[in-house]
Amino acid sequence: MTLGVDDEKGKLNGIEGTKLKQFLYNSSVMIKRKTIRILLPLYMGVICLTGCQNLMANNPGHAANSGTRVYMEDKGSDTMVNLALYWAERYQELNPEVSISVTGGGTGTGIAALISKSASIANASRKIEAEEVALANLNGIEPHELVVARDAIAVIINRQNPINQLTLQQLSDIYSGKIENWSQIGGENRPIVKLSRETNSGTHVYFLESVIRLGNPNDKTIFSADTLLLPSSEGIITEVRDNPNAIGYDGLGYVTEDVKTLAISEDSGKPFFLPNVETVKQNLYPIARDLYMYTNGEPTGELLNYLDWILSFEGQQIVQELGFVPVNK
Amino acid sequence: MAAKSQKITGALITKGIQFSGFSSILFVLLIMFFLFYQGIPALFDVPLGDLFSQRWYPIESLYGIVPLILGSLIVTLGASLIAVPFGVITAIYIAEIAPRWLAEIMKPLVELLAGLPSVVLGFLGILIVSPFLRDVLNLPTGLTAFTGSLLLGGIAIPTIVSISEDALKNVPVSYRQGSYALGVTQWQTIWSVTVPAARRGILTAIMLGLGRTIGETMTVMMVTGNAPVMPASFMALFMPIRTMTATIASEMGEVAGGSPHYHVLFFIGLILFLFTLAVNIVVSRISTQQLKRSERILS
Amino acid sequence: MTDKIIVENFSLTYSDGTESLFDVDIHIPGNKITALIGPAGGGKSTFLRIFNRLNDLADVREVRGNVLIDDVDILDPELDVIALRRKIGIVFSRPLPLPLTIYQNVSYGLEIAGERNKNKLNAGVEHALQMAELWEEVKGRLFDSAYSLSGGQQQRLCLARTLALEPEIILLDEPTSALDPVATAKIESSLSELKNQYTIIIAPHNTQQAGRIADYVAFFLQGRMIEFSSVENIFTRPVDERTQDYISGKFG
Repeated sequence: MTLGVDDEKGKLNGIEGTKLKQFLYNSSVMIKRKTIRILLPLYMGVICLTGCQNLMANNPGHAANSGTRVYMEDKGSDTMVNLALYWAERYQELNPEVSISVTGGGTGTGIAALISKSASIANASRKIEAEEVALANLNGIEPHELVVARDAIAVIINRQNPINQLTLQQLSDIYSGKIENWSQIGGENRPIVKLSRETNSGTHVYFLESVIRLGNPNDKTIFSADTLLLPSSEGIITEVRDNPNAIGYDGLGYVTEDVKTLAISEDSGKPFFLPNVETVKQNLYPIARDLYMYTNGEPTGELLNYLDWILSFEGQQIVQELGFVPVNK
Repeated sequence: MAAKSQKITGALITKGIQFSGFSSILFVLLIMFFLFYQGIPALFDVPLGDLFSQRWYPIESLYGIVPLILGSLIVTLGASLIAVPFGVITAIYIAEIAPRWLAEIMKPLVELLAGLPSVVLGFLGILIVSPFLRDVLNLPTGLTAFTGSLLLGGIAIPTIVSISEDALKNVPVSYRQGSYALGVTQWQTIWSVTVPAARRGILTAIMLGLGRTIGETMTVMMVTGNAPVMPASFMALFMPIRTMTATIASEMGEVAGGSPHYHVLFFIGLILFLFTLAVNIVVSRISTQQLKRSERILS
Repeated sequence: MTDKIIVENFSLTYSDGTESLFDVDIHIPGNKITALIGPAGGGKSTFLRIFNRLNDLADVREVRGNVLIDDVDILDPELDVIALRRKIGIVFSRPLPLPLTIYQNVSYGLEIAGERNKNKLNAGVEHALQMAELWEEVKGRLFDSAYSLSGGQQQRLCLARTLALEPEIILLDEPTSALDPVATAKIESSLSELKNQYTIIIAPHNTQQAGRIADYVAFFLQGRMIEFSSVENIFTRPVDERTQDYISGKFG
């Protein structure tokens, strides 16, 4: 207990303070998500049965036309929620007439919200899927894609673990259950406890496709059933920090000094790279991906101004501050 | 004139109360209808053999719900092993043994425990209980069914203690005096008179407490690891598992309405609903058993 | 006449200050029925419960004075209360059998006291039920729930369960207050039979009952014992004016 308390105290100043903020923020998001997810369908059902209009819908076009106040709902990827929050805060300072509400919930949730018109921007840590586009078109939505940042997925282990580097193949074998003990890859004789984000996370899907299946679309390998699916990035960091058996992965922006980040190589014989801005920019680090914002059709009006600002020098500076990798325009 | 307006007011109040009463029934029926309406299609979307298979991985359309059902059951079973003896004994202590001033402090404290948000319990679980269990029991990870059971036990205990204690307190003093007057010791009296006389209330308490644990979501989602492993033996209690509630909570947000995954999640909700319904039916059967005439007069 | 029980300068205070006893002095003779009369709240129930130390369970702030039974100080904190309670039975005002069968209600005390022999248990149960004049009515259904009996039968069952332990003293706290006249008569007739073997102290539920069955009467008023004498004296030549007023119904 004292350990945890000391850690939190240590974070209370400077940039570390934001980690605490994000921790608290995400926990409140988690509570909200839980109730909303369970109640929403029932609530909607009751509303539909009583013949009311769908009050949840929120059309940014209308807001833009109605004059002074502009309101935007930005929802999706938990990986991006901090980034989106910082962008929104800064942009609102610069443009007081704009108000942007940011929520997490996962990429899938964000895209679902875009489709159901309850969000004007969907944050996504993976590309939108064909099925989702089809469903969107059915609802009269034309998803428009914009790459707003790049993210590296860091593979993390406990600081006590002597392992320093892994190949993609080894990672795949670990997560699919073929390698079950650290001694099989030159570590101590300990069982491997695999940690992953939940299946609704874009990071989960990306890791499945790019690491476990090594990018092969015909591969049907999946996570082994005993992979722990934790509901938040903090859950993964906490468990890896405390448990010498654990291995996890998370967005580079979330990784703290408490855990050890592994160097990864594409294949045995090729060089190993640690994830950082430089290795990601130069496409050396093998587990990196684009982060997207999706809108309904070509953005216009205030929405366009906002997205342009995100891609501007100032917007991309925030990307770098939060541990993500800026995109060069 | 005044009498007439009073009559109208009375009629309005009666109608209002009637409406409230019926509306709650209406809501329950609507919810049930909705659960069935959205859950039953799962039986047609997914072949029955697949639905009751052993692998849950919805991204690849693997909808085996058996590990989830067993996961929920194993956590609840573990919680009952902890909460039932501990809760009943605490209730006995508060009702029968503790001096009055201590009982007056203990009961509100235990009831306060019931008000602890489950997300707070979850944090305690992640930060304290799980590392502790991993070290002490030498487990690969502390995020296990047993961790969930311990914390859910903590959720069930206040309910069990509070209702059991009321039941024990309601045992007429004369039962105890009659027993003591026969030269029976306090422990013998508790064991052979007081507890049997309060057994119906204690059973109700246990069922209500366990009913709370099976529906609990936040805590189990945070501490049980959520790995949909098939529990193979009793040792599965010390392995990660995934419960029905955690599955619904973490997947309902992303799922596309009307998809097989969506229907299966509602189907899981339906199973959960039937579980709690069964618990409630048992409780109401216990607590409304026809009282015998003399018990009615004298109690 | 031998004094079975001697109470000297006895005072008792509850922690909330209610229904206390002040300086009670009384010598209760053996093998007689002694009735405690007086208005409600006068301390009769509290006084009864001194003898088997049932007051230990209540919130008693302070106890002073001496209570001797057969010259043994029963207020001694070292005393074996369990043994004392086996020697001194009590029947309460409301007929409350234990939630067991008829047979078990009577055998319970014996079994707890260590009796394991089936035949002795059976004999003990039958004997106790006969003394309480209940045997004929229940012998065919000993293993029914005690709650299947009528109120009067339940009260005699409670008497039987007390008698089964073969006590020396029987305390009765308004034993017929919940019963109809027929059941009351049955209890009273049992008691008259029993006084040859037992010392009986009863808080009757009205003054008339004391007149019918008691040998001695003690009059309690507001925690004080006003007068103690034979039943004839109390009812015909009371010494104290307050006793006179109570007996003649001027207050009550």
